[in-house]
Amino acid sequence: MLVRPRQHHRLTRTRREFIRDAFCGFSSLALASILQRERVRAASLNPLAAKLPNKVPKANAVIFLFMAGGPSHLETFDPKPLLNQLNGQPRPKEFGEAKYQFVQKNAKLLGTRRTFKKYGQSGIEVSDLLPHVGQCIDDIAVVRSCYGDMVVHSAAQYELFSGRVVPGFPSMGSWITYGLGSESESLPSYVVMPDPDGALEAGLPMYSNGFLPASYQPTMFRPGSRPVMNLDLPEGVSLRERRQTVDLIRSLNEATLRPEDDEFAARINAYDLAFKMQTEAPKVFDLSDESQETLDLYGIGGEPTRDYGRRCLLARRLVEKGVRFTVVVSGGGPGNRQWDAHDDIEENHLRMAAQTDKPIAGLLKDLKRRGLLDTTLVLWGGEFGRSPEAQTSKGRDHHNLGFSMWMAGAGIKGGQVVGATDDIGLRAVHDPYHFRDIHTTILHQLGFDQDDLSYPHLGRNERLTLVHGKVIQQIV
Amino acid sequence: MARRSSLTYWNEQFDHSMQLPLKNVSLLTLWPMLLAGVWLMAGVFTAAGETAVKDAGTTRSSNSEKVITEKDRAFWSFQPIKRVAAPSVILKGWAKTPLDQFILAKLESNGLVPSPPANRLDLIRRVYFDLIGLPPTPEEIEAFVNDKSQDAYERIVDRLLNSPHYGERWGQHWLDVVRYAETEGFEYDRNVADAWRYRDYVIKSFNQDKPYNRFLIEQLAGDEIVAEEAHRLQLDATRFSIEKNQSVAAPVTSEKLADAVAEPQAGWEVAEMREMQVAAAFHRLGPVRRNAGNQDVTGSRNEVLTERTDIIGAAFIGLTVGCARCHDHKFDPILQKDYYRIQAFLAATHEHDLILATKEEETAWRSQTNVIIQQVKKLKDGLKGLKGDEAKRLRQKIQETENQLPILPAIATVRTDDKQRTPIHVLKRGDWESKGDQVGMRGLSVLLPDGTPELPLETSNPRTALARWITDPQHPLTARVIANRIWLYHFGRGIVKTPNDFGKNGDPPSHPELLDYLARQFIDNGWRMKPMQRMICLSTAYQQSSRSPQAKSAMEKDPENRFLWRFTPRRLEAEELRDAMLAVSGALNRKAGGPSVIVPVDEELVKFLYKPSQWTVTSDKSEHSRRSIYLIAKRNLRLPFMEVFDQPALIGSCARRESSTHAPQALELLNGQTANALAAAFADRLMRETGANPERQIDRAYWLAVGRPPVVREKQLALEFLKSQSLKELVLALFNLNAFLYVG
Repeated sequence: MLVRPRQHHRLTRTRREFIRDAFCGFSSLALASILQRERVRAASLNPLAAKLPNKVPKANAVIFLFMAGGPSHLETFDPKPLLNQLNGQPRPKEFGEAKYQFVQKNAKLLGTRRTFKKYGQSGIEVSDLLPHVGQCIDDIAVVRSCYGDMVVHSAAQYELFSGRVVPGFPSMGSWITYGLGSESESLPSYVVMPDPDGALEAGLPMYSNGFLPASYQPTMFRPGSRPVMNLDLPEGVSLRERRQTVDLIRSLNEATLRPEDDEFAARINAYDLAFKMQTEAPKVFDLSDESQETLDLYGIGGEPTRDYGRRCLLARRLVEKGVRFTVVVSGGGPGNRQWDAHDDIEENHLRMAAQTDKPIAGLLKDLKRRGLLDTTLVLWGGEFGRSPEAQTSKGRDHHNLGFSMWMAGAGIKGGQVVGATDDIGLRAVHDPYHFRDIHTTILHQLGFDQDDLSYPHLGRNERLTLVHGKVIQQIV
Repeated sequence: MARRSSLTYWNEQFDHSMQLPLKNVSLLTLWPMLLAGVWLMAGVFTAAGETAVKDAGTTRSSNSEKVITEKDRAFWSFQPIKRVAAPSVILKGWAKTPLDQFILAKLESNGLVPSPPANRLDLIRRVYFDLIGLPPTPEEIEAFVNDKSQDAYERIVDRLLNSPHYGERWGQHWLDVVRYAETEGFEYDRNVADAWRYRDYVIKSFNQDKPYNRFLIEQLAGDEIVAEEAHRLQLDATRFSIEKNQSVAAPVTSEKLADAVAEPQAGWEVAEMREMQVAAAFHRLGPVRRNAGNQDVTGSRNEVLTERTDIIGAAFIGLTVGCARCHDHKFDPILQKDYYRIQAFLAATHEHDLILATKEEETAWRSQTNVIIQQVKKLKDGLKGLKGDEAKRLRQKIQETENQLPILPAIATVRTDDKQRTPIHVLKRGDWESKGDQVGMRGLSVLLPDGTPELPLETSNPRTALARWITDPQHPLTARVIANRIWLYHFGRGIVKTPNDFGKNGDPPSHPELLDYLARQFIDNGWRMKPMQRMICLSTAYQQSSRSPQAKSAMEKDPENRFLWRFTPRRLEAEELRDAMLAVSGALNRKAGGPSVIVPVDEELVKFLYKPSQWTVTSDKSEHSRRSIYLIAKRNLRLPFMEVFDQPALIGSCARRESSTHAPQALELLNGQTANALAAAFADRLMRETGANPERQIDRAYWLAVGRPPVVREKQLALEFLKSQSLKELVLALFNLNAFLYVG
């Protein structure tokens, strides 16, 4: 059911306190009908009931292709001929200063060995690392002028997800779930699919619901045979037995239910949802109903695209089921297993791009041909870019002053480039956009003004964007 | 004593009290003096309507500063705490305590009637969970129900307040408020050395009913007080190490520390000093970002100082001073400058890991550590050029070797170093690179007369000064804030609904006179919590039923139950829920204190840690069933069970827990490892205690789990279920009942 909330501000009330319309003379009604009404009301008490945003939305789902570790803009979407000319020289003074985590002041600039080619009708240049994504460029708006505040992984990852450089604040996935609820009763509304190679620096707090209620927490789809925790029955218990237990719980609860306790009724309902999840969610992992052509489109048939391709396909399947926010992580474990190319930008980015280029293009094409791209916003990027300077001799350090991200779908006007870095890719100099501007733009496409979603925390009505972000008007 | 709002008075008092005249006095005598010192400073608070002293000559305020107006000062929470008498009421005989008169008067004036008393079954379950966080046993329930004496309930309240489990329940509330965790978060998520000592300190302080003003002073400045004392005893004040002076006490190691605490005669002073240093770990509990490579020393220092300033505002004085970091507060009369003046009290505060070991132990630790560091270095050299599985194996080996690094018992505390005083500037938009005027230490403008000067920069023991300002009995916020927190934990909502925000954007008090009455009583009772809690638990208001015959009309008038026309049912918090499952199943290990326990979790979850080796499961399995407060509070890996039931994120101050209801909670309690293992233990217990008779099993299960016998319908359903299903499945269902998850 769809509930249109007047607004999403919580204003220091508990959910229970919202129920003002609870009692209107039920004493004459039969118990059964009271219970029936309790169920209806309990459904409206479900924090994850689907809600409409305040404005007509263009997107109803978001897929974030998170390139963890920080992909280089200089090797992907931001060609800099001057950088190649200045290869091996110190950074000319006129470009100004930058702070790095490792690179020292006397470091030399490093040219790129990548070649760039114009793709599509728009003729946007994309590097030879990403030939498949290049084919989709007319659907993509490349923001070349992104910047963040932090140059170390954990803090930058927190800022990318929550708009804050410290942990403890809700991630964009949690905010969006808080605002829109879930379209799906059998699946969680916010899903993270981490890279099986391992963890990231910011850890689980990066994805978390922060101070929002636990109903808005992410569900991790983990590698291995049991992707969703607690979805599998304990050993020796059959589904039929579990159904009986759930029925017993309902009957026992109803035996002593008092009408004034709407929260009790909501909890009874949660068990029906849980059971539904248990029986239906596993189906999403069964790819046997996908055609070979589709599997090939994502590169699921072979290496090195098999794993990321599978997760991209799962992301599409989740969107079809009504999941609101899906993160598909590329990179995990030690730095070089991420996009964190300190030692050798060539070796690292060739490998990471090869794993993801075809799957990402496959996802875009598949969403498009199914008509899902019209309502699904796809975001690509990492927590920062990489330094124009060399680290050691052929690596690049972290770099937060100017880098590229891209968006596609859900009304985003593709085939264009937004903003620019300077001639060596050091700093966003034209139309710079902060993470909070990216957040604001995503919320905008989902039908929210950034102030529409707020939650009181320690005296402030907190929102995803700490200070006001800008909508990137050029692409919406 | 007479109130004197003079600037010279403020200065004099600070100057004198800074140099504690401690010749030949022990800490025992120090305390009354400290507290007396606090009392002497009382005059600096601005009273309502009193014309503030203006002294342009001494004020440091710049022209651009926002002016604090009389209207600002007149806001209720900045007014002195009033001494109020309980109001008269119409309904006679209902009120058992003065609190009840306040409650009843409000109910009456709003046309509401209180609910009848709760039945004894509900009441004993309510007060057990409230005071000790555990359910009563069937035997305790039976004894209470059959006890016809007048003071049966009163004796239970007293017993629970004196139970060692009381501190485990109420300590958790405090740990929430002070953002307690044992690791630093961010990518390293490093352990704070033996942070559990702080947790034990909190539990012990609650059990002792330590005066709250002392409790705060210890946490804010325990290390400074110890340093003063060490100085007096001519010990090394910077690395206060008692073992250097054998005449004072015997050497203290971590194990021996526990003994010293247990035996006050032996080494009493040492234990006391240690405890205060542990208390000051308060400043170390926040998340800390550390990074390899280039260090941004000033920026990192600013992050730490910001975190420490914000928590003091939220936790102790209930004001969102953090909002004034970037600009003057939007709602409250808190200047941006005020924020940095509070921060200035922390300018000379630095991390300090105090080693608790003898010289020999420390030497042995150092050489062992060096050996392992060398081994790791060698292994890492071998990593170059390796790829694929070989590299993976070697990395694993490196990890395992690193895990062997020995741990030295320590106290993570802080110290004041006058030589390393960070200059504190007003920062434009809170950006540490946009420095404005430098500021010194001072309390909030709205609570001080106009033009009150900052303390001199070189003031020694600055946090002691801050602690005094906060714990001054004239401080209008400190006592109100804690009284409100206590009320909140008992009733599920505060008199002020926003416990960390007593400002204009916060919620106005539902019962302002009651709040002042409680705060005043609290101070008069020597800042002790238990007398207030006793009064609350014995009140008629608290003992009301959660079922009201007038629910329908009351719901219309007061849907939020602000005026307490009934007792509001509440869902058990994550820790209570796990502890109750342990208790009911007979598996609870009631051992108190000591290093935190790491329980097994799904291995896939451990892989989300950047260093999975940080989750080394406690080898002694009996430890796994200890109370939840003793489980490790690790920022980057919270137990899914706790997380799903709204345990706070362990990052900032949590004043009130969320109580959400959603399907993953049901999945956790149906399919989760904890629930199923404990259901099996519960079923075994029933078999042991009642044999194979299903009726007796069901009766006993209900008494244990929900503290009452099953009603006829419940028993029928359960009997029917047992015909085809196991006892384990039945008790698993009981763990999932509202009657189990809630107290009414």
